[in-house]
Amino acid sequence: MDRRNFFKILSTVSAGAAATSCGTKRDALAPLLVPEHEIVPGVEQWHVAVCRECAAGCGVIARVMEGERTVERNGQKFRERVAAIKKLEGNPLDPVSGGRLCARGQAAVQGLYHPDRVRGPLKRTGARGEAKFAPVAWDEAIAGVVDKLKGRASDVLFLTAPEVSARTASIARFVQAIGAPAARTCSLQQPAGLPRYDLARARYVLGVGADFLGTWASPVYYMRQYGEFRQGRPGVRGHFVQADSRMSLTASNADEWVPIQPGSERAFLAAIGAVLRGENPKQEWLDACGVTEKRVRRIAEELKQSEAPLVIAADTEAALYVNGLLGNFNKPGGVFGVYASLGSAPQKGDVRGARVLLVDAGENPAYLAPGSLANVETIISFSPFLDDTAAQADWILPDHHALESDMAIEQPVSPKRSVAVGTAFVKPLYDTRAVEQTLADVAKKMSVAYAPVTPEEFAKPLLAEGESWEDVVRRGGVQADAQAGELKVPQALQVQPVERSPLVLQTYLSTQYYDGRAANLPWMQELPDPASSAMWDLPVEIDPKTASSLQIASGDRVGVESERGAIEVFAYVHPAAIPGVVSMAIGEGHAHFTRYASGRGANPLTVADAEKPMRVKISRIAGARGELAQFSPQDREQGPWGGR
Amino acid sequence: MSERTKHRWAMAIDLDRCTGCQACVAACHAENNLPLSDPESAAKGRAVHWIRVDRYYEGEFPEVKVKHMPVLCQQCDEAPCEPVCPVYATYQNAEGLNVQVYNRCVGTRYCGNNCPYSVRFFNWFDPVWPEPLQLQHNPDVSIRMGGVMEKCTFCIQRIKRAENDAKDEKRDVADGEIQPACAQSCPAEAMVFGDLNDPESKVSRMAGSGRSTRLLEELGTKPKVFYLQRGA
Ligand code: SF4
Ligand code: SF4
Repeated sequence: MDRRNFFKILSTVSAGAAATSCGTKRDALAPLLVPEHEIVPGVEQWHVAVCRECAAGCGVIARVMEGERTVERNGQKFRERVAAIKKLEGNPLDPVSGGRLCARGQAAVQGLYHPDRVRGPLKRTGARGEAKFAPVAWDEAIAGVVDKLKGRASDVLFLTAPEVSARTASIARFVQAIGAPAARTCSLQQPAGLPRYDLARARYVLGVGADFLGTWASPVYYMRQYGEFRQGRPGVRGHFVQADSRMSLTASNADEWVPIQPGSERAFLAAIGAVLRGENPKQEWLDACGVTEKRVRRIAEELKQSEAPLVIAADTEAALYVNGLLGNFNKPGGVFGVYASLGSAPQKGDVRGARVLLVDAGENPAYLAPGSLANVETIISFSPFLDDTAAQADWILPDHHALESDMAIEQPVSPKRSVAVGTAFVKPLYDTRAVEQTLADVAKKMSVAYAPVTPEEFAKPLLAEGESWEDVVRRGGVQADAQAGELKVPQALQVQPVERSPLVLQTYLSTQYYDGRAANLPWMQELPDPASSAMWDLPVEIDPKTASSLQIASGDRVGVESERGAIEVFAYVHPAAIPGVVSMAIGEGHAHFTRYASGRGANPLTVADAEKPMRVKISRIAGARGELAQFSPQDREQGPWGGR
Repeated sequence: MSERTKHRWAMAIDLDRCTGCQACVAACHAENNLPLSDPESAAKGRAVHWIRVDRYYEGEFPEVKVKHMPVLCQQCDEAPCEPVCPVYATYQNAEGLNVQVYNRCVGTRYCGNNCPYSVRFFNWFDPVWPEPLQLQHNPDVSIRMGGVMEKCTFCIQRIKRAENDAKDEKRDVADGEIQPACAQSCPAEAMVFGDLNDPESKVSRMAGSGRSTRLLEELGTKPKVFYLQRGA
């Protein structure tokens, strides 16, 4: 029996959702896929889904009601009633989101209803990069892909997210079936396999370089924990110190911000570690991070004195080292190990050597590693949008939007061993196809035995005795009580020398756009940047001293140049920037990414590396035109009322 | 104090929990059919955000402190926007909400000028949503056309729904049953909504906390949004 026609009671979730939102309570039978005749004007249904705007995989619920769209048939326009998603909320039953969502999660629905989605398979007709395509039938596109793959298996590089999911498992099975090397990722999202930090129960937290309230690991989960850490315990308020090379969203919430040089996170933690061991921190470490020995000693002492100290760092090895010295594992307010995984996540890969590149939705090497596709012979994209990489593709075989897809994903940071599950409940708007299905079609045509990994097959090992798959689908996931794995704790830290130069540019993931993937969403474009309050663009952040020596003011156009390349951007004089350390968020500067992002702003990765800051030259461009749009009244010249 | 006694809706925002993440801002857009801006209109100061997160830098490097503060309509008891409207398009309803009647508004923008919190927005043009973005529109919230003012409503559509549900079931609205979109999304659970007339409600207790303050209270506006300052 086709599961999609199988009617299910969604009462568990409906009731939960109604209690926490404005829903009219309705314990009606809700089908997994909502047929039009089921849609009653003014009556809502709630369905579970999974957010795919970052690696965290938050469980969400979607409010579904009647909507109207225009469709064209035989040159005539019709209004069509469809079941439409109106609003996303966190799924209260999900251990990660707990009923909450971040800004990007809220905006995911704009991807689904984006006016510039790829509406069916496309074949390149112009020269590479010209972004000229013609619509083709699926059969032709599949045949085109088979043609490119036949006899070339060893040249194939498949890019997908660094996560453990039914999708990555299906891709792993596909590349194995055709004899291609293991799939890789070029994504900047945190890979699976990080330990979990019990922030909510800690008393004193030292964060180092991890923007855990913004873009790192599992933002909603850690923000929920943060609220508890600060004000969730009667009479206890957690104290928070953040050492960071930038006043990140996370650092801006700290009681004490310790500015450290970019790239010196490990040196800083090594110095803290030395003090905890009763040794003297090496002078070269202190020099590298630019923090006085007195301050390092004080912070180490405070950590030692606290009943529940915790060190959260982007450098996991260094974090484990220092937490190890504090005896901080598997206890309240400490660090917890990683659960046994249902698979292995794709490792980082370099696309430069690839000949035939297959690119899953969400991966965008042309943006994240500019210039890397120059020597790739064939590019096959599964993106639902004409992004920077898809624009260079030979074939585009568009995936459904995540909210139209069946999926199962292991949640990388969760208090339980957990898999979030989503099942399609609105019909795909366009002639798109799930990547798993496309791969099955390709394999069939190549006469290779292959069947994708279904969400059910993927999540099965977590199901308890007597727990049915229907229950899992209805709740939006499955959780199992499990023992977290042992943590590999280093006994010593290797600290590489940190180079310092007079003016460096560091890049970071932006709150609005993450690694650039949300730049096509108008709500994210108009979300004021937390640092500069900029909308529809991202400026380069320069400290006041450097800015004045270069005669640069906020809103000026400046050129930023390194040995790698050059960009032109707006400047923002950031009162909290470290002198000589220039920062820019990743997100804008897409050659192609729909009407809302194409050709807007600049891509800092043209100039600097995502992982490593680079030496730059900055100069004001005299007479340049244009104006940086800022929202916050105190950032706008017109005064608080401006044009409103 | 006639009808106004039943409910007095208010909000408390714990600034010690708030991280400045702006989930509330995006949630508000999704719930309330806010008009989309574009780069040009944003540069002219015409982007619409019923709730914003103000960010203040204090001090100089390296002793810089950052403060985040979500600012929405403060639903003032003595609202400066109300008396200046020539057509009574904005007024105080029985539950203390400062409501905006769109089809009465003639667009003088006096209210926006008189609001000390800069939370009122004028629609300079009719809003545009390229197909099929409109599929996401919330049918419970009307679309505003060019020429009228708009602002945060405390998600009045959610309040009405909960009140109707409670009435149908012959009971009172439970504390915590109503959550405006911003409060529902907030990952740090910084925002709490409820009834000031119920002394036991969470919002009443927070409003009475030693950390509780109100924005520009000295103007005598009597806002119904309470900010709990950071600290123990
Ligand atoms: S943290 Fe935000 S973007 Fe990431 S999965 Fe959760 S809601 Fe989506
Ligand atoms: S969602 Fe909550 S934590 Fe985020 S800015 Fe709004 S009030 Fe603050």
